[in-house]
Amino acid sequence: MNVIEIDRLTKQYGKARGITDVSFSVKEGEIFGFIGPNGAGKSTTIRTLLSLIYPTSGNAKIFGKDCVKFAPEIKKEIGYLPSEVFYYDNMKVGELLAYSASFYRKDCTRRIKELAEMLDLDLGRKVGDLSLGNKKKVGIVQGMLHEPKLLILDEPTSGLDPLMQQTFFELLREENKKGVTILFSSHILTEVQKLCGRVAIIKEGKIVTVESISTLQENNYKKFRVETSSLPDIAAFQISGIKDLEVNGRNVRFLFKGDLNKIINIFSGLDIVNLWVEEPDLEEIFLHYYEK
Amino acid sequence: MNLFWREMKANRKSLTIWSIGMVILIGSSMSKYAGFSASDQSVNSLMADMPDTMKAVMGIGDFDLATASGYYGLLFLYLILMGTAHAGMLGANILAKEERDRTAEFLFVKPVSRGRIMMLKLAAAVTNVSVFNLVTLSASSVFFIYFGEDEHFAKDLLILMVGMLLLQLLFLSIGMLIAALLKRPGKSGALSGAILLIAFVLSVAVNLKEELSVLKYVTPFQYFDAHQLMETGFDPVFTGLSVSLTALFLLLAFRSYNRKDLNG
Repeated sequence: MNVIEIDRLTKQYGKARGITDVSFSVKEGEIFGFIGPNGAGKSTTIRTLLSLIYPTSGNAKIFGKDCVKFAPEIKKEIGYLPSEVFYYDNMKVGELLAYSASFYRKDCTRRIKELAEMLDLDLGRKVGDLSLGNKKKVGIVQGMLHEPKLLILDEPTSGLDPLMQQTFFELLREENKKGVTILFSSHILTEVQKLCGRVAIIKEGKIVTVESISTLQENNYKKFRVETSSLPDIAAFQISGIKDLEVNGRNVRFLFKGDLNKIINIFSGLDIVNLWVEEPDLEEIFLHYYEK
Repeated sequence: MNLFWREMKANRKSLTIWSIGMVILIGSSMSKYAGFSASDQSVNSLMADMPDTMKAVMGIGDFDLATASGYYGLLFLYLILMGTAHAGMLGANILAKEERDRTAEFLFVKPVSRGRIMMLKLAAAVTNVSVFNLVTLSASSVFFIYFGEDEHFAKDLLILMVGMLLLQLLFLSIGMLIAALLKRPGKSGALSGAILLIAFVLSVAVNLKEELSVLKYVTPFQYFDAHQLMETGFDPVFTGLSVSLTALFLLLAFRSYNRKDLNG
């Protein structure tokens, strides 16, 4: 079953900003990454899903229901963490969380305590006095206190220190084990790589590709770096599949995609001093999508 | 209801400050009147020498300032100016602040419809405005208990306060409409203040020039004229106009806020 189904969603905003024909779906129980550079349209898509803004055309369904028409109903089961957290400054953290909980028809006090303990959040402090990281923690508790079935996280880790990020990821994995679906928007690829099964890549308001992380990595280039004892014969490297060939004296670098035996054949004619073969990280894969 | 109480709490401080201001205004006017009434007829003769323009600007008109009710009729203009300023700003801010303070992403992702959020905000705003009206009523009662010379004052005062409440509600609805319409709602408080000022200046202009009397229908400050309220009661046309405009503005505010793209 699809928890989120987005169908040709378009939002025109002024001139440059907005999204065009965004379509993808998120399955139940999935941790789905939503990646793109800043300003690509991640937040616009999310804000449309939450009916904070309304689509120009196209539609989106959450739990099988139209996200505009049934907004109040579906929001019972959605937890949202905005990229920048702003709250009523003169409230105490505990007050704010209790206020947030009061919108849901269930008792959330225990969950609030649990989450606050896990994240080491002081409920007695005023929201206005909190640091960015602590505000983010309030946002996390606020988004999870009603035990929603769908978590929508917009750049959730910004402001969290690495240790807290670990705790947060553990928390997300735990929730996911319970069956919670997660839409995880980010421009930091390593964290998406760690957490998500599938990703949608968005660029300039359009979806570039929707793919599982493993396929993205499989269908990709390997990075080679080789150092030879004497100046290598560059002509030997002129075969199909080699890209970005870079020769610097006795050092050769290139990317290769295809039958690895061909490379071994080339290497067998060389006197090799040193050799490096690397998997490209997601960053490099995505850079290729990001490039204009 | 949680949102209602949240708004009541959020507006408590501002309501207190406005109320204190109102009590001070009425209190200081009382002490001035005490001076006036002691000097007896001389006030009226002094006022008679004043040019009409001046009288119109100050809202003195035909009031007999030597009597408590006449003097209060003049004061009433300043009371409604405060009442409407408070109501207009409140109406604009209670909606606009969620976008201005960027808390919209907190409130509007909750399982509540926008319509319901607006209803609760409106309820809180109407309560605030009513409390402000009651404070004015109470402080004014003290004025009349001290100086009132006839038994009409209780009825007069009640009529005037109902008129003030209707005006407050009208400006509340104008404020909310502005906040609902503006793309950058941070400016809605200032804009509703500007509209209030224009309406007030227009009202003074109407008092100055007979030829401008058509504009009576344009500026709400002409709808509830203290002199007329005390002499003949509510004018059905102006009262109806005021109530209909309030309802219309609220309806429009609800509709456009429902369709609005919220800034975050």
